[in-house]
Amino acid sequence: MVINMRLGPNTYSAGGFYDELIDQDGTARPHAARLADYFSAMRPDELVARQRAVDKTIVDMGISFTIYSEGDNIDRAWPLDIIPRAMPGDEWNRIEAGLVQRVRALNLFIDDLYNDRRILKDKIVPAEIIDSSRNYLQPCMGVSPRHGVWANICGSDLVRGGDGTVYVLEDNLRVPSGVSYMLENRNVIKRVFPGLFQDHRVRPVSEYPTSLSAMLQSIAPPDASGEKPEIVVLTPGIYNSAYFEHSYLARTMGVELVEGGDLVVGDDDCVYMRSIEGLTRVDTIYRRIDDVFLDPEVFRPDSMLGVPGLMRAWRAGNVSLANAPGSGVADDKVVYSYVPDIIRYYLQEDAIIPNVPTWRCSDPTHLDHVLAKLPELVVKPANESGGYGMLVGPHATRREHEQFRELLKENPRNYIAQPTLDLSTAPTLCDESLEPRHLDLRPFILQGDSVAVTAGGLTRVAMRKGSLVVNSSQGGGSKDTWIVEVGH
Amino acid sequence: MLSRAAERVYWTGRYLERAENAARIVQQYSQLLLDLPDEVGVGWLELVRIVGAMDEFRASGKPDTETGVLEFLLAENDGSTSLAYSLRMARENIRNTRDLLPHEAWENVNELYQETRRSLGPAAIGEDRFEVLAECIGECQKISGILTGTVSHHSPYHFLTLGQSIERADMTSRIIEVAAAYIQHNERLVRRYGSSLWTNVLKSVSAFQMYRQYCQRQVQGIRVIDFLLCDRALPRSIAFCVDSARSSCAALPRGETTSAALDDVDRLLQPIPAEQVQAADVTALMDTVQLRLGDVHGAVAATWFLHEDGA
Repeated sequence: MVINMRLGPNTYSAGGFYDELIDQDGTARPHAARLADYFSAMRPDELVARQRAVDKTIVDMGISFTIYSEGDNIDRAWPLDIIPRAMPGDEWNRIEAGLVQRVRALNLFIDDLYNDRRILKDKIVPAEIIDSSRNYLQPCMGVSPRHGVWANICGSDLVRGGDGTVYVLEDNLRVPSGVSYMLENRNVIKRVFPGLFQDHRVRPVSEYPTSLSAMLQSIAPPDASGEKPEIVVLTPGIYNSAYFEHSYLARTMGVELVEGGDLVVGDDDCVYMRSIEGLTRVDTIYRRIDDVFLDPEVFRPDSMLGVPGLMRAWRAGNVSLANAPGSGVADDKVVYSYVPDIIRYYLQEDAIIPNVPTWRCSDPTHLDHVLAKLPELVVKPANESGGYGMLVGPHATRREHEQFRELLKENPRNYIAQPTLDLSTAPTLCDESLEPRHLDLRPFILQGDSVAVTAGGLTRVAMRKGSLVVNSSQGGGSKDTWIVEVGH
Repeated sequence: MLSRAAERVYWTGRYLERAENAARIVQQYSQLLLDLPDEVGVGWLELVRIVGAMDEFRASGKPDTETGVLEFLLAENDGSTSLAYSLRMARENIRNTRDLLPHEAWENVNELYQETRRSLGPAAIGEDRFEVLAECIGECQKISGILTGTVSHHSPYHFLTLGQSIERADMTSRIIEVAAAYIQHNERLVRRYGSSLWTNVLKSVSAFQMYRQYCQRQVQGIRVIDFLLCDRALPRSIAFCVDSARSSCAALPRGETTSAALDDVDRLLQPIPAEQVQAADVTALMDTVQLRLGDVHGAVAATWFLHEDGA
């Protein structure tokens, strides 16, 4: 068996896909040249030893995620590949501008939907798409949160296609997760490869908790109690798969991590936290529970996770919620297909980062095309996340194609279709050799009184050969993501 | 600090202490029964009465035999009295407060819980009872050591201390009750076996050496009771527990009601006049101490835990 250990000409091949570090003729891309040199100088056993050091550091630092399996919760060590994924700084500048543009437009859009509905009246987005969305929440009508911003924390998934173009694959505007792993990935790689950072100018990511805290302060009600607004992180509890992150963010911001039962809404429609000092007023809640569990008085009456009266307090402007309830209306995948139009409508600009071409099954001509080309396409339900309920045409059986044809005809509004993308790859350590693996990127965008974007984000890797599934619950891994200043 | 977190840390302290004390009291009682001739008629059911679980024991349908009582007090069962139950609750509480307490404490509690899940059932009936209980006491002490050695003296520490002190004072009062049972059942026997029985009581709370060093050479029943009740320097005496609970109270916000409740306990801690001691008096006094400690717990819960109805 030939083991390709070395990066560089004639040894590592991405097999026709766009590789983030190595170009088609096998040489390292300029921004990745030193990175490639560094790892090329390592013998196979050294690479494996470093991977073990990374794994051990992750266990020692307690970086874990929880999966629910057979009635029990298991904490798994977070999977991190040793080789960073690098992008050049000038390319990132453009992407960052595109993300800022996108989030600004999406927030103007959500605010419009819950107030004047101008964009619907002007028939840019069909009203029936919005009115039939289960994330368009009636109790949010007429509310305008501080700065008119609804989605304060956005995690947009980016992918790179075969020709090198970066696309937005989806916008996560409800409770996007993963940012703690982005931060910890950097901490681990710094510990295990201190020398690597001396040779590179990599943009830091460590200011995220500070930016998050500043954003949460900026959206506190104007009459916030005291000089420093009281911020809390609201978690469903230790059994939630992202509990590590909830606890991590609360700890790094220096705020309380609360559960629904810790909060109470008073007769004055203000939110209080039960603490050993007594009842303490809460100004901003970074909530990591879904809309429908927020308030049993308004949404699901059986919710044990929420706080009775919370929507009342929020509507009265006595507490800020990040993200605001109802923000999810804009991460419906049918709405996604209109984002370039939405950007043009509110900002009079063209989208800087393109969407993946998308067919809406609600449109009869689109539906005909999708039904005809199903084996080549990816079909996604409009309102699911985590990669569930989708069909990857080329990897599916004939029977599955038939099942989806029926589903699409029954409920076309609920589906969109996209071409199967040739996701880009990067060298990844797999069983003692470096092999190309497909990946995506989730940057995090914060908007309060201003907009901030992480330098890079969380790179997720499909560890199985040829696989496009990057979700950690389904065997995905991750990489430290470097935005490298070139020409220094 | 959140009320919920305070409550969980407090119960972590209580259940860890309760687990250790359950092991101690079963060990002590087993020793006692080995020392006493059968005709004295001190049975295992007495132990159930002492830990205040008679109704629950009856409901469990277990027989009044050694095995029945020990299964009830040690192994995992439907009840909430057993050592295994205390460890499970300690584990649940510490699991929910992992951000506040050191990671090693969680790991050790989890290990102990997993280990005793295997060992406590057989220990209730088997020959290796003393070994399993000694192991359990040792592990609990290790966890206490980790906590006292690493937790900063802020609110979580004080709730831990409150829980531990209240539980320990309660259990020491119950151990004194076991001692009183000696007097009650056979005064002639006590005269004959006296000093070895009282030595056994002292050993059950690891206080034998301290007694010899700081109290007197001779082990004498009344002095042992006084020592466990009033000695302000012995870590497992009720007076010491009241003092440490009081200083934790003083370090917490709004601690006045709880401090006052602790003062009420303190007033009960008087040396027992040697000439007229009656076993029944000692038992009655311990029952009162336990009731007042219950009031202390009530004050802690009402002040800091802010439940739905209290908020």
